[in-house]
Amino acid sequence: MLKLLDGAQTLGKGWTFWSCFLIVLAAALIYPAFADSYDVGNFSYFLIWIFMALGLCLMWGYGGMLSFGQTFFFGISGYGYGVLAINMGGGSTTIAALALAVVMAMIAAGILGYFMIWGGINGIFFGIVTLSATLVLAFFLGQTAGPEWHIGPARLNGFNGMKGMDPLAVGDTYIEGSALYYVMVALIVVVYIGLRMLLNSRIGNVIVAVRENPQRAEMLGYDVRKYQLLTFVIGSALAGLSGALYTSWGQFITPSSIGLPAAAMPIVWVAFSGRSDLTATLVGSFLLLFAFQTITVYSQQMALILMGGLLLATVMLAPQGFVLGIGKLVVDRWTGHRRGDTNAVMADTARLQSDET
Amino acid sequence: MSAELFSLFYQFADVFAFLILSAAGLAIVFGMMGVINMAHGEFIMCGAYVTVGLVRIGLPLAVAQGLAAVTAGLVGVVVEFLIVRRFYKRPLDSLLATWGLSLIVTQSMLLIVGSSITGIGTPEGSFAIGPYTFSTYRLVLFACAVAVLVGLYIVFMKTRFGVLARATMQNAEMARALGARTGRIYAISFGIGAGLAGLCGALYAPTMTLIPTMGATFVVESFVTVVVGGANVLLGTAPAAVFLAMIRMALNASYGQIIGQIGMLFAVILIIRVLPEGLSSVLVRRGR
Amino acid sequence: MALVEVKGVTKSFGGLTAVSDVDLAVSVGEVHCLIGPNGAGKSTLFKLIVGLYPPTKGTIFFDSLDITRERPSARVQRGMSIKMQAPSVFKELPVRQNIQVALQQRFSGAERDAEEERLLTLLNLASESGKLAGALSHGQQQWLEIGMALALQPRLLLLDEPTAGMSPEETFQTGELVKSFNAEGMTVLAVEHDMAFVRQVAQRVTVLHLGKTFARGSLESILEDEKVAEIYLGRTQAHGHGH
Repeated sequence: MLKLLDGAQTLGKGWTFWSCFLIVLAAALIYPAFADSYDVGNFSYFLIWIFMALGLCLMWGYGGMLSFGQTFFFGISGYGYGVLAINMGGGSTTIAALALAVVMAMIAAGILGYFMIWGGINGIFFGIVTLSATLVLAFFLGQTAGPEWHIGPARLNGFNGMKGMDPLAVGDTYIEGSALYYVMVALIVVVYIGLRMLLNSRIGNVIVAVRENPQRAEMLGYDVRKYQLLTFVIGSALAGLSGALYTSWGQFITPSSIGLPAAAMPIVWVAFSGRSDLTATLVGSFLLLFAFQTITVYSQQMALILMGGLLLATVMLAPQGFVLGIGKLVVDRWTGHRRGDTNAVMADTARLQSDET
Repeated sequence: MSAELFSLFYQFADVFAFLILSAAGLAIVFGMMGVINMAHGEFIMCGAYVTVGLVRIGLPLAVAQGLAAVTAGLVGVVVEFLIVRRFYKRPLDSLLATWGLSLIVTQSMLLIVGSSITGIGTPEGSFAIGPYTFSTYRLVLFACAVAVLVGLYIVFMKTRFGVLARATMQNAEMARALGARTGRIYAISFGIGAGLAGLCGALYAPTMTLIPTMGATFVVESFVTVVVGGANVLLGTAPAAVFLAMIRMALNASYGQIIGQIGMLFAVILIIRVLPEGLSSVLVRRGR
Repeated sequence: MALVEVKGVTKSFGGLTAVSDVDLAVSVGEVHCLIGPNGAGKSTLFKLIVGLYPPTKGTIFFDSLDITRERPSARVQRGMSIKMQAPSVFKELPVRQNIQVALQQRFSGAERDAEEERLLTLLNLASESGKLAGALSHGQQQWLEIGMALALQPRLLLLDEPTAGMSPEETFQTGELVKSFNAEGMTVLAVEHDMAFVRQVAQRVTVLHLGKTFARGSLESILEDEKVAEIYLGRTQAHGHGH
């Protein structure tokens, strides 16, 4: 099992990488001791979105399926958590609400994915069909201001959004402040390690093979559609996890976290970071969320313009992603490799691996 | 009875016009270069704002609309030159680049002109048939949509540019080898696409509230029309719009706009399961 | 007994009929070569057998089971594998990983690792195992693809122009490889233009012409058939001298 932590699909291996990993983790764990509770709360807020980014990285970077609809699943699960938490009452049932909300996102992904993947939709059309679904969901929720739009006591409330659900709780204690922060950190570690192991397993081998050449993968006896659906459902479940945590964190959710420009954000994070690697996505998304949040305090428009600019700059200057590119550069300096072409990221990946074997 | 029939036709024409006008520009760019222009909605917004601005300074509506479409087209040529042409070999990256552009434009507009500006009001004029009253302007929109289709047909089927453009669409390499200046054809097509988007915004400007994010109202319809139309946009777009307009009209009439939109989306998702290549693939097969 | 059997299969693309009412039976344990001029429908027939196209008409049997409606992956699971005409590998993945993706269908653990090394050596790719598959030469990519097809340990190996772009020596090596696998019981169906290769490996030959079965038998009997010489061999031999 542990062998799967390092492998061809994920960068970073061996003693150096994992020591760095542990240092960062240790820093993250002692952070609340040195920060005030407001900052810790903010920190938890950035971490909420990491799951959605990792999910998209899996789908797009590894699976080759560019979904523009991650906020669709974010929204389904976010609203799902709200409806369930209000209907089932507070306390420990909120944890069940969280789990069920994620399952709802997975079911939605299963249905949408079935029609698209079995219909043979790929590439650009995959993106625009998922985005269409997302926008329609956002429009629909925006229209639900009237009192007739309710599920049990849970009012959908149109553009003003749904509120009044309990946050995650164990018994009578709300999980908030540093407790929530630790839950987030733990979840990220679990998801990150889990995805690493998945990607370096036999399944991960097939997922990237399908990205590279679906016909060849089929000719090796893999039912390509099942692997694509699996990837799509896992990626969407992670978007759903972000959605449910978001609703729980702020005890509200509005359609604006689903529609434009929210739908573009995961794309920006993952593209900027470097979609072909999980670790790059993790680090890059965190940095972008931090920058975004800092600027939003002054002007949300400015923050979004920056995101748009970064997306444009990424595709024009570093299509493989900035964080990944810079990371590789640093690693190469560190290990004293000479390099010919800073842009040949993929070729580089292979070379690093061949060095290892 | 004929009043009912006309009422049905009117509802159909309304949705059909909306679909064709929102999708035409996107479809041309997609069919020509395999690129989905994610800033399509912003070209629509550009057309709408220019129209309102020109009407405010006293130009007649129709003139303002024409100039707005031209403006959007010119902006399109500039965008093609600065950004899009770098990505013809990487269609997915062009999607991301134009999406980045779209974010920058909408948010800058929000910063500069604020969230909404006062509109100019729908041109008056209505007529009655039997117990129903109809807006004349909606029929003007339908006429414009038909005119756009006819215009595109003439440009792509009857002109020298059209011949070269279709050759490029079929096989860009070959067209280039035969001497077509594909770079210029792409630039012009992108300009036409942006101009059609601008026209859409210009035509709908009098009917809606102008906000910088208004493009989003149009993109779903344009996306699904192009998806259902399939790869051969010259063949597929119009039938796709007819088909979707029928579904939409039926649902709108009984359940209202939003259910109409959701229903249309479901129809699209069902269609791609059965006809992943879109309607045009069926039409092409028939044609053989 | 026939391992794969094609019965009355027709495939049309719009107005063009690429394969027309073809019957073909490949017996267990034989090496069967499919020859014919360009456009005879050989590659189309291969794609029909492996399931990349649905036939317009007709039935395909594998091991006496009707597989006409099965997906390619299901057919591969039944025990066939294919090397396609144009090299089809995972270009942006390292050579070793290409082999692994194929091998993990049949092997796991230490057995897989051993088989991986054996195949890489057999294919002369051991020193290239860390390279991206897309960086290999055309001939090496062909070998890699053959290796991936072999890694599945198929009962039926379909080779579409396995030696295209290879030197005479490499062609000969490929032929020997095919014979050695056949000796271990693998059935092989190959499309090939290179008559030296066909002579080296084929036990039976089928000639396709304009989408139809034109002649069938041992290579000697085919060579003696004047009609075949007229449509194909004459031209090929003249063509062959040109190389």
